[in-house]
Amino acid sequence: MKKTLTVNLGGTVYNIDEDAYQLLDQYLSNLRSHFKKEAGSEEIMNDFELRISELFSEKIRLGYAVIDINIVENIITRMGKPEEIFGEEEAAKENAEEPFEAKDSFKGQAEATTTKKKLFRNPDDKIIGGLASGFAAYMGWDATAIRIGLLILLFFTQIVLIPVYIVLWIVIPIAQTATERLEMRGESVTLENIGKTVTNGFEKVTEGVNNYVASDKPRSVIQKFADLFVQIMGVLIKMIFVFLAIILAPILLITFFVFLVITFAMLFGGVSFLNNLMPWVQNYDYMLFTSDARSLVLFAGIGCFLLLGVPVGGALYAIVGRIFDLKPINKTGKWTLFILWMVGLILTIACGTMAWTAYVNGYVI
Amino acid sequence: MNAENVKSQMRKGILEYCILLLLRKEPAYTSDIISKLQDGKLIVVEGTLYPLLTRLKNSGLLGYQWIESTQGPPRKYYQLTAEGELFLGELENSWLELTNTITHIKNI
Repeated sequence: MKKTLTVNLGGTVYNIDEDAYQLLDQYLSNLRSHFKKEAGSEEIMNDFELRISELFSEKIRLGYAVIDINIVENIITRMGKPEEIFGEEEAAKENAEEPFEAKDSFKGQAEATTTKKKLFRNPDDKIIGGLASGFAAYMGWDATAIRIGLLILLFFTQIVLIPVYIVLWIVIPIAQTATERLEMRGESVTLENIGKTVTNGFEKVTEGVNNYVASDKPRSVIQKFADLFVQIMGVLIKMIFVFLAIILAPILLITFFVFLVITFAMLFGGVSFLNNLMPWVQNYDYMLFTSDARSLVLFAGIGCFLLLGVPVGGALYAIVGRIFDLKPINKTGKWTLFILWMVGLILTIACGTMAWTAYVNGYVI
Repeated sequence: MNAENVKSQMRKGILEYCILLLLRKEPAYTSDIISKLQDGKLIVVEGTLYPLLTRLKNSGLLGYQWIESTQGPPRKYYQLTAEGELFLGELENSWLELTNTITHIKNI
């Protein structure tokens, strides 16, 4: 017995098995992400959906009451997997753009498919963020060796390495799709390697890729010992992280709210209160963007709020997100936050410099 | 150097030309175009054609109209525009040149 769903595809309603639906959905979203950069991608996707709808209706006419996974698999074979379509696409586009350099573009393409390697975090073999193993895959080194190297570095550089690691953790994306996993290892993204993504679903392929990579590397006793050591260290570091997070979370939360309160206080006329904290700026009337000392304090306040509030808020969100499984901040969000933070930094520096010059020039009451 | 690669490059190179040729006489439905191209082993999977047709349409060489179908959703029938005819003419010339060159080289 199987659960079925009702879908509207190209304006016609079909009953479809749940697994078949998932496969089709996966297929269409794979296609969509391939075509999203292209002008008229909506139209292309519409064409695909209409065609699939048509093939479905043919089946229905033949007496199938429900669309099952075999039908969807057949249709996918017929329409082509994203890699087949996209591969042919790319070549066609290159040819269209440079008709007289077909030989060159052919050469470039052949190289691109075999050697393109990207730096990702490795989700399959991770101890903290999957950075070391991602880097290992990128360089073709052994992950354990890199991890031990990192531990030694951590011992010597002490605290410096931790923020570096965290920044890289945020900046380097995780290899989510099978394509990305293959790119991480520099495997060519071919039909054989990735075609299964569509027909077998993600889980199986992930497993397949893992087995494929893990199986051809028998490890020596020393390596196994090193692996174990790294595992234990990883658990320890993780425990420290969790411990710190538990301690820091309330502190961060309080800091965040304090800043929030201060900002609102300033926005609603509490400027004079802060003005009293920095009395020397009161009579200083040559300012970059304002002649009012109160505004300077207000701007300084906003600057400080952004400068400290953005990282604090971000860290808080990350911690809360871990616990409650929230979505991580997307790229646009990260950039927005970064720009806000830069604005805060600039404001703080500008206001600080002005206040300081005012102070040095003797505007003390 | 892989023979398969070169062959597929050749096929890809003439794909647009073939599509325009197919549409010269009468408007055609995507599936018809696909089956004709597949007969000639010019394309392997249907999916290749949709983005290509959209691209040709966007550059003004093709137009289309919706025609009701008795067997399902309405279908897109593509036809050649005046611009497409001109373009096809150009391609035709260069194809002739190519074939001439090839015959010439073969006979050397």
